[in-house]
Amino acid sequence: MDTFRLRVIAPDRIIFDSRAAEVILATNTGLVGILPNHAPLLTGLDIGILKIRTNELWSVVAVMGGFAMVHDNDITILVNEAENAKEINLQEAQEIFQLTQTKVSQADGRKENIEANLNLKRAKARLDAIQEGIKEGTAS
Amino acid sequence: MATGAARRGGSRLAKQFAEKLTLSSSVGAQNGGAMGSPWGVQSGVGAGNELIPFGVRYASNQAVRNRMRSVKNIQKITMAMKMVAASKLRTVQVKAENSRGLFQPFTALLGDAPAVMGNKTLVVTLSTDKGLCGGINSTVVKYSRSLLKLNQLNGEGHDTKFVIVGDKGKAQLQREYKKLISTYITETQKVSINFTQCAMIADEIIKSSEYDVIKVVYNKFNSAVSFLPTVATLLSPETLAGEEAQKIGNLESYETEGAETQGEVLQNLAEFQLASVLYNAMLENATSEMGARMSAMDSSTRNAGEVLDRLTLSYNRSRQASITTELIEIISGAAALEG
Repeated sequence: MDTFRLRVIAPDRIIFDSRAAEVILATNTGLVGILPNHAPLLTGLDIGILKIRTNELWSVVAVMGGFAMVHDNDITILVNEAENAKEINLQEAQEIFQLTQTKVSQADGRKENIEANLNLKRAKARLDAIQEGIKEGTAS
Repeated sequence: MATGAARRGGSRLAKQFAEKLTLSSSVGAQNGGAMGSPWGVQSGVGAGNELIPFGVRYASNQAVRNRMRSVKNIQKITMAMKMVAASKLRTVQVKAENSRGLFQPFTALLGDAPAVMGNKTLVVTLSTDKGLCGGINSTVVKYSRSLLKLNQLNGEGHDTKFVIVGDKGKAQLQREYKKLISTYITETQKVSINFTQCAMIADEIIKSSEYDVIKVVYNKFNSAVSFLPTVATLLSPETLAGEEAQKIGNLESYETEGAETQGEVLQNLAEFQLASVLYNAMLENATSEMGARMSAMDSSTRNAGEVLDRLTLSYNRSRQASITTELIEIISGAAALEG
């Protein structure tokens, strides 16, 4: 089976360093799927989820922005912060999501608004990650 | 009575001595004649009549004991500081090594161009907040200064500005280059160094000044005894898109997605690169600080031990001398009585 080398690196640790068959990235302009032998690509990543397929199993990671570089069957993804879906608790993620939603509606002023929206995005990414993870059967 | 005082090595002895000295100076002036010899003849203090040079300071036993106590305390403190630095070194070293993986892909993608000197250079000097860490701050300041001089050699229109992180670097550089400093950042280690902090510092740097090239000067941690001063060169998005840089890096071979223009992606990329390089540089500098402090405190402890040894020897010698003197007086007194 065709695979490429995938590295997902956060400032404090390496999240993933191995071979994968497919990866789906959340870029600023939408979802992008990368298969082996992809053309060289450099793209920025938005706050969202990253899905990695190894041996027919999808694993899900919530990422908080970063960059992806694809070159010669070697993909390097640098992220500001990342959380594996396995490490996220569904209950907790839902509670945090609702909390951030109320904060957004209560936000007053431009700065607070932007901050609240950012937190909402992050909470949504985490919630999506755990929900996708459950769907794919790789997280609980 | 005098012998008892000698045994206690008290300051009383020294005071009597001082009094006799001032008295004898007037006597000496008369006896020494026209030359005004500083030697005076005294009696009583010490063993018999001796010519004692005017102005000699008698280190009384009490004074030596005090000094020994303070040296021992210093030794304990420096030993404790060394242990603290050793334990902190372990944690920061792990973080520094883990952070290396973050900025290396940037070097692979954009190339490393240390020779590129733009019109506006920003020198980011990383130094420590606390002292007692050997010579690492001086080396970083020396490199920053020479970068400035190099740039000045290129002539008018080549501006250099400083961003200083850390109190020690600030103290050394603000004396000469106060006008060239654009930002100070201190107390970065109150909370342990994390990426968010560096992202904010990177943001602050980008907002507060325009630049073509950023040079980050820091100490790279090579091993517990070796800290290499390093300069990391980062190009601004405009310079990156320029011809020189394109030749060095691999950027051309990439398609870009995720933004309207390649310029926008480059902008984001340059910001992220600055944050990652700063994160790694700050961690390496912190690790070097701990290592340097460890070795500085270690040599302090050893030196304190040597001083203590010397002081102990001289203390014992003077103590034994005074005991011997006492014995001699007693024995000769007894012999005189018999004989």
